[in-house]
This record gives sequence, structure tokens and C-alpha cells, in this order.
Amino acid sequence: MIYNHLKLKAFLTCLLFTFSVAIIAQPSVDVGKAAFKNYCAQCHAKDMKSDATGPALMGAEERWADYPREDLYAWIRNSQKMIAAGHPRAVELWAEYKPTIMTAMDNLTDDEIESVLLYVNDVVVNGTGGGGGGELPTESVGVQGSNTWMYWLLLAVLAVLALILTRVIGSLNKIAAAKEGTTYEGKTLLETLTSKGVVSFVIFALVVLGGYTTVNNAVGLGRQQGYAPEQPIKFSHETHAGINQIDCQYCHDGARRSKHAVIPAANTCMNCHKAIKEGSEYGTAEITKIYASIGYDPTANSYIENYEDKSEEELQAIYSKWIGDRYMKAEGIDELDKEGKRVVAEQWDGIVSSLTNDQKKKIQGPIEWVRIHNLPDHVYFNHAQHVTVGKLECQQCHGKVEEMKVLEQFSPLSMGWCVNCHRQTEVQFGDNEYYQSYVKYHDEIQKGERDKVTVEDIGGLECQKCHY
Amino acid sequence: MNKKQSQVWIGEKDLNGDQDFIKEQQSEFVELPIVEGLGNEELVENLGGNRRDFLRFLGFGIGAATVAASCDTPIKRAIPYVVKPDEIVPGVANYYASTYVNGGDFCPVLVKTREGRPIKIEGNASSMMTKGGTSARAQASVLSLYDTNRLQGPKKKDGDAWIDVKWNDLDKELMSKFGAETRIRVLTNTVLSPSAKAAMNTFVAKYPEAKIYTYDPVSSAAILDACEQNFGHRVIPDYRFDKAEVIVSFNADFLGTWISPVEYAQQYVKNRKIDNVDHAKMSRHIQVENHMSLTGSNADNRILVKPSEQGAAIAYLANKIVGGVSVKKLNDQAKKALDKVASELKNAAGKSLVVSGSNNTGEQILINAINNALGNIGTTVGFNAVSYQRQGDENDFNDLVKEMKQGAVDVVIFNQCNPAYDTPSKALFEEGLAKVGTKVSMCYSVDETATLCDYLAPVHHYLESWGDVEAKRGHYGLIQPVISPLFDTRQAALSMLSWSGAAPQTEQPYLSFVKQQWKDSAFASQSTYATFNGFWDAALHDGVFHMDKGDLGVSFNGNVADAAANITPSFNGELEINFFETVNMGNGQFANNPWLQEMPDPVGRTSWGNYLAVPVAFDGVRKFVGMNDLKDGDLVELTIGGTTITVPVLQQFGQMPGTVSLALGYGRESVSPTSKGIGVNVNPFVHPNLRKFQYLNFEVSIGKKVGKVDDFACVQYHHTIGVEGQDKETGETINADEAALVFFNYGMVKQGYQGSLTERSIMFNSSLDELKESVEHLHEKRHEYQHLNEQTLYPYEEYKENRYDQGHHWGMHVDLNACIGCGACTVSCMAENNIPVVGKEEVSRHHEMTWLRIDRYYYGDHENPNVVYQPMMCQHCDNAPCENVCPVNATNHSAEGLNQMAYNRCVGTRYCANNCPYKVRRFNWLDYTTADLFPANQPTLNGEEIPFGADNLTRMVLNPDVTVRSRGVIEKCSFCVQRIQEGKLTAKKEGRRLRDHDVKTACQTACPTGAITFGDTNNPKGELAKKLKSPLNFVSLEEVNVKSSVTYTMKVNNRNESLDA
Repeated sequence: MIYNHLKLKAFLTCLLFTFSVAIIAQPSVDVGKAAFKNYCAQCHAKDMKSDATGPALMGAEERWADYPREDLYAWIRNSQKMIAAGHPRAVELWAEYKPTIMTAMDNLTDDEIESVLLYVNDVVVNGTGGGGGGELPTESVGVQGSNTWMYWLLLAVLAVLALILTRVIGSLNKIAAAKEGTTYEGKTLLETLTSKGVVSFVIFALVVLGGYTTVNNAVGLGRQQGYAPEQPIKFSHETHAGINQIDCQYCHDGARRSKHAVIPAANTCMNCHKAIKEGSEYGTAEITKIYASIGYDPTANSYIENYEDKSEEELQAIYSKWIGDRYMKAEGIDELDKEGKRVVAEQWDGIVSSLTNDQKKKIQGPIEWVRIHNLPDHVYFNHAQHVTVGKLECQQCHGKVEEMKVLEQFSPLSMGWCVNCHRQTEVQFGDNEYYQSYVKYHDEIQKGERDKVTVEDIGGLECQKCHY
Repeated sequence: MNKKQSQVWIGEKDLNGDQDFIKEQQSEFVELPIVEGLGNEELVENLGGNRRDFLRFLGFGIGAATVAASCDTPIKRAIPYVVKPDEIVPGVANYYASTYVNGGDFCPVLVKTREGRPIKIEGNASSMMTKGGTSARAQASVLSLYDTNRLQGPKKKDGDAWIDVKWNDLDKELMSKFGAETRIRVLTNTVLSPSAKAAMNTFVAKYPEAKIYTYDPVSSAAILDACEQNFGHRVIPDYRFDKAEVIVSFNADFLGTWISPVEYAQQYVKNRKIDNVDHAKMSRHIQVENHMSLTGSNADNRILVKPSEQGAAIAYLANKIVGGVSVKKLNDQAKKALDKVASELKNAAGKSLVVSGSNNTGEQILINAINNALGNIGTTVGFNAVSYQRQGDENDFNDLVKEMKQGAVDVVIFNQCNPAYDTPSKALFEEGLAKVGTKVSMCYSVDETATLCDYLAPVHHYLESWGDVEAKRGHYGLIQPVISPLFDTRQAALSMLSWSGAAPQTEQPYLSFVKQQWKDSAFASQSTYATFNGFWDAALHDGVFHMDKGDLGVSFNGNVADAAANITPSFNGELEINFFETVNMGNGQFANNPWLQEMPDPVGRTSWGNYLAVPVAFDGVRKFVGMNDLKDGDLVELTIGGTTITVPVLQQFGQMPGTVSLALGYGRESVSPTSKGIGVNVNPFVHPNLRKFQYLNFEVSIGKKVGKVDDFACVQYHHTIGVEGQDKETGETINADEAALVFFNYGMVKQGYQGSLTERSIMFNSSLDELKESVEHLHEKRHEYQHLNEQTLYPYEEYKENRYDQGHHWGMHVDLNACIGCGACTVSCMAENNIPVVGKEEVSRHHEMTWLRIDRYYYGDHENPNVVYQPMMCQHCDNAPCENVCPVNATNHSAEGLNQMAYNRCVGTRYCANNCPYKVRRFNWLDYTTADLFPANQPTLNGEEIPFGADNLTRMVLNPDVTVRSRGVIEKCSFCVQRIQEGKLTAKKEGRRLRDHDVKTACQTACPTGAITFGDTNNPKGELAKKLKSPLNFVSLEEVNVKSSVTYTMKVNNRNESLDA
């Protein structure tokens, strides 16, 4: 009940906001908050006051006050372009922050940028989490709430009716009793409430409600939608598939020909990371893990011979040297300072903890990723069927992976979800000669009796398409 | 006497109308106490069931479920390769050509690997010998790779214990004992590999006093002797069963176990399949034997002779055909029959073949003489591609024992042989062995011989080995590893090379050695390939390489009269016994393989043990009784040569009166729990007559019943269909199997077809002479069935047109004339579909899980019946009775005509199994796959520490595309739906229509005779469509209108009735 009540409130709030947003349609703190979350929060601290990967945003406007507003927009959209163009403020900033590059976001509108700036000021003024009109509902409740009040009304009417009826029955009983010459002892409220009927009804209702809740929750057991575990390497799909536009199937080369999409082997990573030795975000911290897994010496630019037999100390020497060298180069110093030693030790510890676990004691060997998409053992799923034959986009099931810094499970991977898609999805019927054997459907299409053939039509909902 | 001559029966109980048996068939499931064997007496007592127990279990159940549900989802890891091999795509199977070899047992194979793990064996169609066929043994060989009892590294005996040593140390220690003067003896079974032989020769060259001795677990030395004497070559001739119109086999089980069964079976069925009813032609196969062998069960006529009369029978036939042979004692009926056989053979001169499984040189010389007189030499008895599949001679073994006893042997090395088990004179052997200073065993696991040795040099499985094979002259095969050695083992031939100090110093020394051998021999003598690398790659890819080496150009030269004098002497006693090799066990080499232990013997239908086959006879009144009134599963004391053993009994139709038979290969004492104590070892009773092992014994007697075996693992009477019995109340004849289904008295409809319970059309058979009449009869019957089936309000045709006439509709065709019952399909199915092994006790409780069983029916003469093998799997009925009764819709029908089973939906009511007219559904009574949390539900096969399949090594054999079923669900044949889906996907990916070869079921690919054809019935150009046109086709139980998708052909025999007279 309380839940429903909240829903109603949320709905009303939502409505209110929809209106206000629609009316204003101008830069706003709320739009800014959303945009900040989507575009900026990965690198810029949320309190706006401290530096993260990127500088604190507080006072950005003041810092750019000497230049036209458009310059600030351009800077936010694509900083590298401005640096290349030699904008004085841009060059100044680059000197301070290089080699960290700010991700280009050419599709940001002026309004969005203004909104973000508004939001930044708002946070500075009102404290974190603040916003013009309180917390934004994260999900739209939609029209679901719209008839809830009707149920309440109905319930109230029924309750009143019940009350009236009880009174009427009581009165009638009294009259009847009076006619027969006896007196009718009306039940007190307590007696009514503890009567067999009411108690049974309450128990029954509880069992039904409890059962409903249990079943509803049990159905979701083991499902992991939104599961985004920390991985041994802070691999960012955003950097690889998003910014650098690497095709999904370059790494996941099983998707087109196998049931498994395949997590790429370390040697696939090496195709690029032989050249790209430092990451845009973590520098040497993460990429060195690949080297330690496969046995590549980035200093010597060669694979290490007999890598399997090397001791942990030997590995530590090789990779600490590399991390240290890079640190010194970045700092422009010739000897490791205290901070440098800390960085080296920290990164090495990171390598050890990422590449070893209770079962795998050695650093050498595969990177043990945390598996995100887990289908039960009795489900057969084949990527090739969907990617090569069905010509589906990866994003349809995996979401906008190219925007995910930390990969998360986008779809529920529930049977209902599979089935729904099989009901709606059209088969690539005309293009693939395989489907020629469905003579009847082809006839019907030709005659115009049928406009499409869905997966369901060719047996895509049958048990043994996925369970055998 | 011939009570119901035309009738078909499955066994004595069926024929006699055994009341207990019929009652058993009438219940839904065989009623056995459920808790029997759980081993918890207290639980058994409490299982009367009271409210407290119920609440206790309920509370526990809810508690356990709650705990299980509240657990965090465990973190699963995804572990990629570090450096991914190019040819491996995770999730896609790779196939490599290799060759299965075990002693003389041989089969060219393709090995299916998934992520580098071999999981399935397929036949190699490039082989000219087997044409893609396999045997049950080859199919099961992949499981041996993951045998938990394998030796994991070299060992040395220290007192009574084995201690681990390093290969280097072992080699040094041994080589310090080997010298130019050392009298080393290497004992081996047949070696088919030219390279391994070269390695042995290197060893002998290094140690000149060394000698190689060869013997075989089941010997064919007499054939080698005879051919050497008669033709000048110590080989086994190239028998050509495909060229023979009349085949006479004297106790040679050439379809099951003799020399090269897969090759022979493939040839044999060429003349057994009927393509054209109007001009039907078939070879005639006459088997002379006392025990119903697999080959005998396929024969048209069987002539019964006692083991002691085998030689006499051969001599009798030789006298008729060659002349000049004196004839010993032989029963009159056999004489009369052989007279007619002789004239048949003469009529088919040059197109006939006489073979014998005898191990008596005199008898084999007579066989050669007969074939020679018939002009068969060069036609059906070839001397070009002669077989090397048996090279052993027990004289070698006898010599070794003699030398050892004299103290004339310093070192003995056993090359993958087990003489302490599979030879008759174990005591003499052990006595001699004790006098040998150094004893080395190159073995796979610690067997009976290895336990007597000082050093163990464990060998690779063939799937981990490099190697080559020359099974027949000019027919080469290559063995390539498909997985890195799982343990610290080494190939036997490489050990020999290492000990000779001649191992190539390369990364893969034995590969280098084999390559060098091939460069020098096969490559040098061919002209197709210019470079060796090209030649090698092609040969490795194909797995086989064939070269015509030209005919040996032999002529017969032998003295028939002398030979006849040396045949098995006659015997006048009352009882004789013969020992035979079974399809699955061999002489014990395969006993450690649970798949083969569980696979029922095709004829006796027994598993997990050997059973004394006793004859069954009509008592003249109304019953068929076993010898000495013995019944199936009775324990009896069998005395052979003064030693008494207790064996269980099996009543065997076709067993000659006055003889009993017992299988070799059981009663192993090795450390492997799978075979330990399963059955009895009969090797000590094998007769070492004339220095050749004779697989018979005349000093035999059997006593009365001394008890009953508790776990009689014979599937003969399990899952029967069509057993008739008397209804308790009305006394009418009913079908016992289905009586459980009928609660109402239907009044009028007792006899007839629909709704009736009798006269079920399970199988049709005919003799060749009456083929036309039989086909007419069959068509009449089918017409009648179909007419009845049309009398329905349900518009089936319309439904079919809408639902099944487009896309695919899967169907299967089984040619009963090609099926020889060898059981390769059964094992293949187990391997493909992760079918659990349940063990002896569970089999005895009717709980075997095989999806594909081969029903064996007898028909015709009760004393000497013919046999039909009917592979029976889910028929994927389009009007399936199982689907209608499932309360949770766990089994339903697909648009492609598949009867689908969704395990996760199944709640285990078993209504479907009850309602299945073919009895093909199997229920997981216990946790056979060890998936459960509670070990009490996991049965062990033979009292092992961990149940079969509970360890990760055994689990490596599982097919990752097939769900492993848990306790409490029904399972059954899926038509290999995983292969269907894979085949469809291949076609879709390539954007083309599905072709026949895209989808082949596991049973189809395993079959050595091509009896099974699977395909899309909607494809008019497919192989299946052709097969479905045969007028011999019938549908089992067509009258019950279940619209089965499996079609069989009528079994036709070419029995010559006049031989029976």
C-alpha cells in the first residue's frame, strides 16, 4: 500500500516535471545534472571542488571569462582540436594536464553545455545532490499510476458499503429479535475482528499476498540485470568500442561463427597494445597487466623467453622497471622519487592481485575475467545464429556497450525476454536460401497474404530450439 | 514340439507365458522396493511413513531451499586463452583423423574435439576397409582416455609399494641393467604399427640377445600357421564377404569379434540388403556353432555341432568337397545338413567363402583346402591386401614361460599386454616370472601383470599418441594426438627407442621417428606426391593412405589327410563348454570401460558380467525349460577340470543341447573398480591343447541351482513391447505391456487393432523364398492399419499439411536387413548424449538409461531360431501419446516433427513413460550424473570411492552441447537435436538449403553397415526419401495411430529349410 502511495507521489512529481521541462525548454539544472552524469562524471569530481582525472569544474566559467563563450563550448566539445589550433587558454591547460586527453563530445548542444554549467554552479551553491526541485525520479513511472486512485476510490466506496451493510444487518437482526421477543446481542468491533471468518480471511489474504510476493521475487532469483562487477583489468568498452571505434567482432571473433562470442585472448590485445603501451586513463597501471599475463617486455619490445619459468621476483623487476621508467619520463625526472616508488609498488600490487587468485598462484597465464552474462546450463544459445544469420546488432541484447566504462549486463537474459524477441523479430527470409524450404510462407508472401515471417513462425518458441 | 512355429519371442519367459514376468509387464514400472540398496536400514524401517517424518522432510526441504536461495550468486570466471591457437574457435568442434588401435583391434576414426578435448569418435569414411563404420569398442575408446585409474607417471616397486620415479631416472636405471649379453624378452600383443616394429627392431639391434615375442589375447595363430604351410605367407588372407554368395562360417564370429569385424560387417551387408523385391538376391550365410554368437544370430541357417565336433564338421565338409579326408564322430543332423551345404558351395564355386574361428592348425588347413577346391583363392580369399590384424602365436608365449622357468631370461618387458590375466597358465607364468631379474610393464593402468613387475613405464592413450598402422598390406593409417598427454606417460615405442639410446633429440621425438619411417617407406614407394611434406600432410589429413602392393601370387600346397589327423579329437562326454569373446569385452582388454560394461551383449542382452549360457528345450508338455531346470539368474556351480566356480545362468535359445558357453574377458582382478570382480575369469580353463589355446573344455559338469543372483543385469525382459498374457479376470489374451493402461473393459474390442491389446505389429519378417507373398501381406496389413487410422474425426491430413509439410520434418529409416546388432550405435549414443552409466545393480532394477536399445527377437524354430535385431529409439510420433499425458507440458511437439523433452520442465510424474507404446523413455531414478547436493542419491557402479562421473577427469568426456540431466526427470532419444541445430546453422550461415550430410545422428555415423538413415522427409531428393520408397518398409505399431517418424524394413532371411530336416 505504502509502495503504491509512493508510486502515486512519484507519478505526480514526474508529471509536474514533465510540464516544467516542456514549458521552459531551456538550459536547466536538471538537464545539466543528467548531462553531467552521462558525459562528465567519469573524469570530473561530483563535488566540483576537487580534481579527479580532469580538473575541478568549479569556476570554469570564471577561468574562461576572458574569452568568448563559444570558445568554452568548443573547448568542452573537442579540447584536442583547440590545442592543435593553438588557443592560448587551451595550450595553457594542456601544459598542465597532458598527456591526459579529454574525450571529444562533438554532439553536445550549447544548451546542454549551459545546463551543465548551471548544474556546476548549483552544486557549488547548494551542496552535492542539490537540484532545483529535489531528486529527479530515475525512472518514469509512466501511465501505470494513472488508475491507482480509482482503485483506492473503489476500495473506499466498498468499505463504506460494507460498513453500511453491517449496520443494516445489525439493525435488521435487532428488529427480528425484537419481533421474536428476544434481545439481539450485537457483536462488538473486537469480537468481529477476532471472529473466525475475519481471522481466516486475513490468513488467507496473507498467504495469497505472501505467495505472490515470493513467487514474483523467486522468478528473479539468479538474474543479474545490471550486474557490473569489477574486472581484473579496468577495461573500458567506452575507450575501445566507443572512442576508438574498434568493431565488436575484432575482439569477440567467435560471435559470427560460434556459440560463444569469445573473450579475446591476450594475444589479441597485443595486436594493438604492442604499440599503445599506456592507457588514456590509467597510464601503465592496467595495460602492464596484459604484458604480465602474456610475457611481453615493453621496455625491450619483445616477448620474454621461457616466461613460464620466471619467478615472481624476476617479473617484478621487469615490470617495475617499465612502470618506473614511464613515471620518470612523465615527471621529467631521472631518478624515482618517493611518490614514484609508491606508484610503482601500487601498480605492481595491482598486477599481482589481478592476475592471481586462490586457484591461480602464478602471474603468468590467462587473465581471469569475471563472467557477466551467465545463462543456465540447460540453455543453449548460439551467437552465430543471431549475429551471422539473424543479422542482429550486438547492442540489441548488450546495450550501448560502446558507452560503458564498466561493462554491465543490459538485458535480463530471462526466458520471457528471449521469447518476446522471438515473437517480434522478423526472419531474414528472402535473403537466405536456406529458408526456401518454407514453401508455404513463400507462397503466402507472394500472394500478399503474409507480410513477414517471425522467428516464432518457424518454430522459434519451441522448447528444443534452446533446451536440449 | 513346434508350439508356435511362426511366432516371435524375446526369451523363455515370454515363450512360456511366465506369470510373474507377465505380471511385471502389466505394472506401470517394475515394482521394486524403492529404498532397496540405499544401504540405510533405519531409513528403510522408518519409511512406513508417518506424519512426523513427513513434516521433518518438509521442514528440511523448505530449510534447504531457503538456504540455497539466499546464497549469493557465485562469481563465475571467464578464462580466455593467453595465445589462442588459430584452428580453435571455442564452441566449434574440430575433427582430426586418427586410428583407433588396441592390439589387433583397429578402426580408422575421426576424433571430435571441443576446445581441445576429445569427446566423440566418428568413423573415417576415407578408409577403404571400414568405409566410415565403427565398433562399440572404438566408440567407447574415448572414455578410456579419461579413466581415473590410469597410471599417472612411471613407477618403481619398493618392497610392496609403488614409488614415483622420473622418466630419466627410470631410463638410466633400466639401461644400466640392459647390456649386449642381457637376455631381454619383450612380450607383446599384435603390433600393427610399422614404426613401432622398427622401434622394436632398433631395440633388438642394440641388445642382440633380446627377443620379441608376440601373442594375442584371443588367438588366431592356427590361421597364420595354416597359411604359412599352405601358401608360404604367415598372414591372414583378405577375406571378401562382399564377393561371397554362400558363406559358411565354422564358429567364426566375423561380424562381432573375429579379426576385422567392422570391415567384414561392411562387406557382408552388401549382399544382405534388398533393393529390388522382384529380383531379390541375397547371400546365404550358414553358421556352424554350438553357441548363439552375434554372427550366428545373423545367419540364415545354423548347424549345431558341439565344440568337440567342430573339427569333425570341417573334416566332413572337406571330405565332401576336397575328398580324401577321414571323418570323425559327428551328429547325424549336422552330417545331413553339411551334405547340402557342400552342394551349395560347389554350385557357388569361386563365389563362396568358408571361414573358421578354430585355433587348430589342422582344421585351418582343411579350411584352406576347401576354399582352394572351391576356387575361392584369389576371389573371396585374397592374397593382395592380406590382414596383419592377428600376428600372435602362443608358441611364443609358451617359449617365454619355458625360458623363464629355466632361468634363461634376465629382463622381461611387457608391451601393453596382460598375460597374467588373459592366458590359461597363470600359475606357470607367475612361477617363471619370479625367476626373472627385472620385470618392466609398459601398461595403461595397473593390471594383473603390472602388479607382478618391478617397473611401470605407463603408456599414452592412442588419442595422445603419434603412430601409424598397417592393418592390411598396403592399407596404412596414421595416428595423431588430439590432446596433450594428460599425465606423465610415454609411448611404448618411444620407450623402446629411449632404452636403445636411439630416440630422436627433437621436441616430439616419436613424431620425428614416424615421419622418418614414412619418408623411407611409404613416401618412397608412391608417385602422387612430389615432396614428403605434401605427402605427409595429405596422409595426416585423410588419416589413411592406400597403396596397391600387388598380389602375393600364392598357390595352395598342403596335405589334407595329415591335417585331418590333427583336428580336435572327438569326445563322448555329456557336457562340453566353449569360451567366446564378446563384442564389448574382448578378452578383458576393454573391461575397465564403463560404457562397454553397461552395453548389453547383443545376443544374451546381459551386461556387467558373464553368464553361463545353457540350452533351452521344450519339455514335451507345454514348457520350455533350461538345462537342469535352471532359470535366468540362477547361480550354479560349474566345475571345469576340477575347479569349481559359481556362475549365474542365462537360458540361451540356439544353444546346442549338451553344451554350455561362457564369455571371456570378465573376472578381472586389476585395481580398476570398474571391472574388479565383475563376472568370472575363464582364462584358466582355456585348453592349451597342441600348444595352441583352444577356447573349449570337455572336463565340465554343472550342478543344481545353488542360489539366485541378486543383481541379474540382463535387459532381455526390460522395456518390452508386445508381450502377450492372460487377463486375470476374463482369461482373454491381452498385451501385457499395455494392460496397465487399460482400466476399463472395452467389451467388444478385445481382438483386432485399434483399442485392442493384442496382435501388435512390432516387427515383420519373411524368408527370401516367400518374399513376394510376405510383401503383399505386409501391404495388406498396412492398408488395413491405415484404413483404421483414417477413421477419425480429427482432420490429421489437414493438420499435417499446415504444420509439417514445409520446412523440415525429420524422419529415420532403419534397415533391419543391414542391422547386425553389434551395438556400436548404442555406445555412440551414450557418448553423444551424455547418457549416464548406472551400474550393475541399477541395471538389474530396470533402470538402465540407454536412449537407443537394440531389441533382439527370436523367430522360427524354437531349438534353432533366427534372430531379428530391431534398434528401438524414440519414434518421434507426430501423434504422440506421451505428449498428451504430461501435466506440465514438458514433452511436446515441434513443427519439425520432433518429440521434444524439456528437462527443466519435467516434474517426474512418469506418465509419459507409462503411455509410450515403444517403451523408450527413461527416468533418472537416482542422481546418476552426480549433479545433486546429497550423495545418498548417487549410486556407485562397483563400490568405487567416488561415483562414476563425479570427478572432473571423467567429466571431460561430456558433450558440452547436451544438458546433463539431473535426478527426477525423464529423458529419451532427441534425434540428436544438437546435431540438427548445428547442421541447420551451418546451412543458414552458408546461405543454402540443408543437405543430407549436414545432419547425421550419432547412431547413423557409428553404424558399420549403414543400417540407419536419418534425414528430412520433406526433402524429396534426399537419401531418406529413396529409402522410404522401399516396398519392404513398415512402421512399428502402425495400428495404434501414433504417426511414428521411424520406418523399418521387413527382415528377410535366406534360410534353406531343407538344412533343418
